[in-house]
Amino acid sequence: MLNSYIRRHGPLWLSLVAGIALWEIAGRSTSRAFMVPFSETLLRLWQLMTRGEFIAQFLDSAQLFLTGFALALIVGAPLGLLLARVRTLRIGVEPYIMILYATPMVALIPFILSMMGFGFAPKVLVVFLFSVFPILYNTVEGARSIKPELIEVAKSYRSTEWSLWREVMLPYTLPYMMTGVRQAIGRALVGMIAAEFFLSSTGLGQLIMGASQDFDTAGVFASIFVIGLIGVGLTRLGLMIEQHFARWRQ
Amino acid sequence: MTQATIAAPAPAESKVSLLARGALVPRLVTGLSILLLWEIVVRAFAPAYVAKPSTVVLAIPRVITDPSFLQALGATLLAVAEGLAITIVLGTVIGLLMGRSSAVDRVIRVYINGFNAMPMIIVLPLFSLWFGYSGAARIATIIFAAIFAITMNVADGARSVPREYLEVARSFRSDRWRVLNEIVLPASMPYLLAGFRLAAGRALIGAVVAEFFLSIGGLGYYILYNSRSYHHNEAFVGVLLLAGFGVGFELLVNGATRRFMPWYRRDEKSG
Repeated sequence: MLNSYIRRHGPLWLSLVAGIALWEIAGRSTSRAFMVPFSETLLRLWQLMTRGEFIAQFLDSAQLFLTGFALALIVGAPLGLLLARVRTLRIGVEPYIMILYATPMVALIPFILSMMGFGFAPKVLVVFLFSVFPILYNTVEGARSIKPELIEVAKSYRSTEWSLWREVMLPYTLPYMMTGVRQAIGRALVGMIAAEFFLSSTGLGQLIMGASQDFDTAGVFASIFVIGLIGVGLTRLGLMIEQHFARWRQ
Repeated sequence: MTQATIAAPAPAESKVSLLARGALVPRLVTGLSILLLWEIVVRAFAPAYVAKPSTVVLAIPRVITDPSFLQALGATLLAVAEGLAITIVLGTVIGLLMGRSSAVDRVIRVYINGFNAMPMIIVLPLFSLWFGYSGAARIATIIFAAIFAITMNVADGARSVPREYLEVARSFRSDRWRVLNEIVLPASMPYLLAGFRLAAGRALIGAVVAEFFLSIGGLGYYILYNSRSYHHNEAFVGVLLLAGFGVGFELLVNGATRRFMPWYRRDEKSG
């Protein structure tokens, strides 16, 4: 038991320890303005946590992330499924979804800023725009992968619309849609930070910005560290969701 | 399959067959209705400075002959090209090392995965601290944004080289360099291209975000400046160009994959 655990996860822990050691040494041997050792980053993080500042900003960011992402899901998923079913509509809309998927949405932030100002709504819009197109794009990809014969066979056996959905459409499109959801989670996180940087400064974005403006390098490192961990966690979650639905696709 | 490779290019349906099946009409109709809707909504509800199709079209000739715009465009493209060049070389080397050596893979995979999962724009405050408000910070951001996508894809590609190829090479006593050059690299090419497609998009985002944040001259800053001074039409031409680059990279890589690696199919698609 223990032996196999060590063999499997030993190198990972070893490399983590080595990385932290490297960070510590690099931090101690350069100027404090450039880099801060790991120990000091943790210390600063602890201070931020205990002062309650961190929790407040975290909740603020989480609210933004969840609202924008939920909207993207509420709009993207049904629309994607509709496109999967209505072929003409899908063919018509496809290229535009591809274009919007490939467009760097950050470029729209200045417009959103000057039209909608600094409230909560424009920031939600940014997160929404970042995350809705991966969902749509991948769902349409999935819809394209449905063989027309399958639908024809289902129809010639007089399957109802409901069972057509349940047995052909959903099993084919859901795995793709979940790939979209995974991508959307990552993009929504970028959108969240971008909105917090470039629209009104709040949440975790504000935590970094504030630290950077105060030349508080330890604060910058602490915030990047935490946001990085959140990113890793969310990516994991996305992969789990995707794999759960993609079991049969391999 | 790891996350970086799943977003592989789908072999697109061929243009001819699509047009023959009448895709052109629905597409044109959709496009025109989007533009019309946009025009009507903006005219009815939004202030005059907000970009709408008719005024954006009028702004195009003005913008593309404007020297300051061309300068901004050049600065951004140069930075993206430089960043991508460094990224491709570095990313491929690291990726090959990871894919072909399990020791290297074990040591750095956790970091590559970790950095790749980070929303890349959070490094901006740090990079501005390290490199100042300069072009160097922009290049660093571009590299950081793009490199992990390439590394992960190349590593996956190098790992997926069929074992038989390597065994044949070994039994003919080919040296390591030739194995790398003539088997591993060509076999990972589709992955490299998929990585490049992802990386190019991210590099573009990295450049724009860096220009926003650092206020250094470029396409991103041009968009920021003009939309701040209520020249939305001019700024939107910049967005169109960015969208064009994004789509261009996508088409370029998909096309190259089909043209040069026709045997390579990620997902069989039909209909």
